[in-house]
Amino acid sequence: MKFLTTNFIQCAVKGCQSSDSSFPLKYEECELVAETQEFKPEFLVHMLEKINWSALVQVARDLGNDNLPTEKPELDPIMEDDVLILKDLHNLLVETNILNGKMICNNCGHIYFIKNSIPNFLLPPHLCN
Amino acid sequence: MLPTPDIKDLDFNVYEPSEDSFLLLDCFEQEIKFLKSYFQQKSPIIIEVGTGSGIVTSFIMSNILPESIFLTTDVNPHAITTCRKTVEYNNSQFSGCFDALQMSLTTGVRKGLVDILVFNPPYVPAEDVPEIPDSERSDTWLDLALLGGSDGMVVTWELLNDLDTTLSEKGIAYILFCARNKPLEVQKIMESRGWKVDVVISRKAGWEVLSILKFYR
Repeated sequence: MKFLTTNFIQCAVKGCQSSDSSFPLKYEECELVAETQEFKPEFLVHMLEKINWSALVQVARDLGNDNLPTEKPELDPIMEDDVLILKDLHNLLVETNILNGKMICNNCGHIYFIKNSIPNFLLPPHLCN
Repeated sequence: MLPTPDIKDLDFNVYEPSEDSFLLLDCFEQEIKFLKSYFQQKSPIIIEVGTGSGIVTSFIMSNILPESIFLTTDVNPHAITTCRKTVEYNNSQFSGCFDALQMSLTTGVRKGLVDILVFNPPYVPAEDVPEIPDSERSDTWLDLALLGGSDGMVVTWELLNDLDTTLSEKGIAYILFCARNKPLEVQKIMESRGWKVDVVISRKAGWEVLSILKFYR
């Protein structure tokens, strides 16, 4: 599962849907792998528009990366310095994969597992509805 | 006509692309101009719910909106594996983003995120919606892709009732129906809740009449 995807998923328990603490999930015991993918600066800039930055910073911290700025950077894909930052973000968001690990809801404490890069959000019967 | 993705080594626990899947491909071929101008080179977040073999997502990646963020969901672990293989095989040059999630509908997806939602539901009327098996080796996974309870609409209504919180402001949902789902009644109910609904395409397939409705605000 791509690092990027951590920004798009939250606790699946119905009672947690309206809670602010069900997103992002907390990441623990994660095994990371890098997978090379073509770098497209414009695509990355569009992608950043969709990103909840504070959640991204939080998950990066869970995974041991304290290097992200606290505010979402405004980046221009034709500026050379900005391209360097975009390249770093590409490396983190697109090329970093979570192969195995745990995701924990900060609201209800339910633990979801990532196995072989697939996150599993199926709930046990007592947590459905 | 745009090329159809190849599905290799289809697992017998996964729904084999059929008339309904192909109608979705034709639907997106028909919508290509609209979608390209509607999202104007931005990167929409596209979610296919209950993706099965992954043929529809792979087709959109190759032909319709290549630079997008794709997520697929399925409760069936065999479908997840097949879908990933389909994308690997057909979209090796793909430079957007793709992940396959094991999930019922969009229950674990951040709210208000989805720009394009695609759903080929279990639409066959049946007494009940089957339970999710607790073992990967169970032989009932395929039933989940087919049987939709009363009017074949139980699962589809679950998704439609949450559509408002699922879709982004500009979000659009493309959902497939068969005649026994009474799509015109569904259209009326959704319109009464403030949605705009268009029938994009419909076709007689054997003894079934299939149609795809588009829901947006």
